[in-house]
Amino acid sequence: MVSPDELLRELGELATSLGPAVRPAGTDELLRSLTETARRLFGAAACSLALLSEDESELLYTIAACEGADDVTGLRIPTSQGIAGWVVQSGQPIAISDLANDPRFSRELAEQTGYVPQTILAVPVETPQRMLGVISLLDRDARRPGAEQDMALLSLFADQAALALASVAGFNVLGRVLLAALADAASGNDLVLALRRAVDGLPTADTDLAALAATFAALARRGAAERRLALAVLRDIGEYLERRPPRPR
Amino acid sequence: MPRIDLPIDKNWAWGGASGAGITVAVVDSGVDAAHPAVGAIDRAVALRWDSETEEVISTDGPHEDLFGHGTACAGIIRRAAPDATLWSVRVLGSRLTGKGVVFAAGLRWAITQGARVVNLSLSTGREDYFGLFHEIADEAAFAGVVLVCATNNVPAPTYPAQFSSVISVAAHDGHDPFSLDANPGPPVDFGAPGVDITVPWLSGSTIASTGNSFAAPHVTGLVARILSKHPYLTPYEVKTVLRAVASNAVAQGASDDN
Repeated sequence: MVSPDELLRELGELATSLGPAVRPAGTDELLRSLTETARRLFGAAACSLALLSEDESELLYTIAACEGADDVTGLRIPTSQGIAGWVVQSGQPIAISDLANDPRFSRELAEQTGYVPQTILAVPVETPQRMLGVISLLDRDARRPGAEQDMALLSLFADQAALALASVAGFNVLGRVLLAALADAASGNDLVLALRRAVDGLPTADTDLAALAATFAALARRGAAERRLALAVLRDIGEYLERRPPRPR
Repeated sequence: MPRIDLPIDKNWAWGGASGAGITVAVVDSGVDAAHPAVGAIDRAVALRWDSETEEVISTDGPHEDLFGHGTACAGIIRRAAPDATLWSVRVLGSRLTGKGVVFAAGLRWAITQGARVVNLSLSTGREDYFGLFHEIADEAAFAGVVLVCATNNVPAPTYPAQFSSVISVAAHDGHDPFSLDANPGPPVDFGAPGVDITVPWLSGSTIASTGNSFAAPHVTGLVARILSKHPYLTPYEVKTVLRAVASNAVAQGASDDN
């Protein structure tokens, strides 16, 4: 017999892991559009948005608008180094126009993408509640006016990105949000106490499950046929794993 | 903008002075003492947050600059005040968690250990740090310690740069390290070089960069110079002196002969 506490906890975990699946569509598209707009406006080779990991130890390059060169999406950099790391740690924008003299930056990026930028302009992406990440422009048009005005302009894009991100942040912790909202709405001490206990006891989301849910949701949005295909592939993988001899751990 | 009609000019403010006897703390990413532009770092402390014990751990002794930025600031300050005593307080570089608390602890360390000027090329927009930094800014002002802060580029609040008790600095496109502009609109107090300037960076190199975070150390250097000549000045009087020597200030009643 499952206790109400255990039931609530399971509900909370499930909601958090599946939150990304029910996240409003369009955030990624909005951020892609935002970075591409910034890239074109500033005449830059690339504009990228890097977001802080859950534990704030890394920056994950999430969205990148690039002209030609391989993009940096998926690149993870520790926040303890590099220009972008300094921007999120200090909360200050910065522009550098001769990156060749910063051997650490160029080497890292060149190793991953084969592209060596000459200039960078980076501003923080943040809300009054937390630092979210950094938006960077690589090799913006050299004929543009000084970096100072462009920093202020890019900060407007950063604000928009922050708003978009903040509005979907709740989905990553949906279980917590859901149960806390129920606790606020409920009456009757026992239920309220049980809900609050469940909120406090919730671990962080299972990121793999969350990623799976988000990927599946994206595929499903393409249409009914695509949804059936994704489901069929997943089922086939499941059946294959059942048949395969177990791997030694 | 009108100039305060006191007999204060650059010569009175810092003529013949070099920063001797004034301790300046660079609260940043650490300072590379081996960089030729920096000179001696007399004291260094690195602070970080320990999430297990939930406290700030500080480690005395020489440390490296994890980003290059602290070195840039130290070099800029050294150029304006060659004989100042420089300290490095590293609060940036490890994980972000607890950053605000580490930042505050670093500031407090500098104030309580006897620094006279503190250069802060960093700030936080987090509203839950408002109270903490306001308190520390007051502590500094009451202890006679001048806090020089880089401001932000956007109208959003940023702490402690926007508090009236600190000197907040934005970048302008001048290049004269002994020149600054007074800003008529608060909360930014002054404009100093910080656009396309060459600054010391990692591994003895230099880099061409833009940022308010480079304008602040320009003013920090000038403050150290002023205080070495007039050590009795309070932080508010220092701000008055800076305003009096600002390049864009005009004598009242005279035409704008800028």
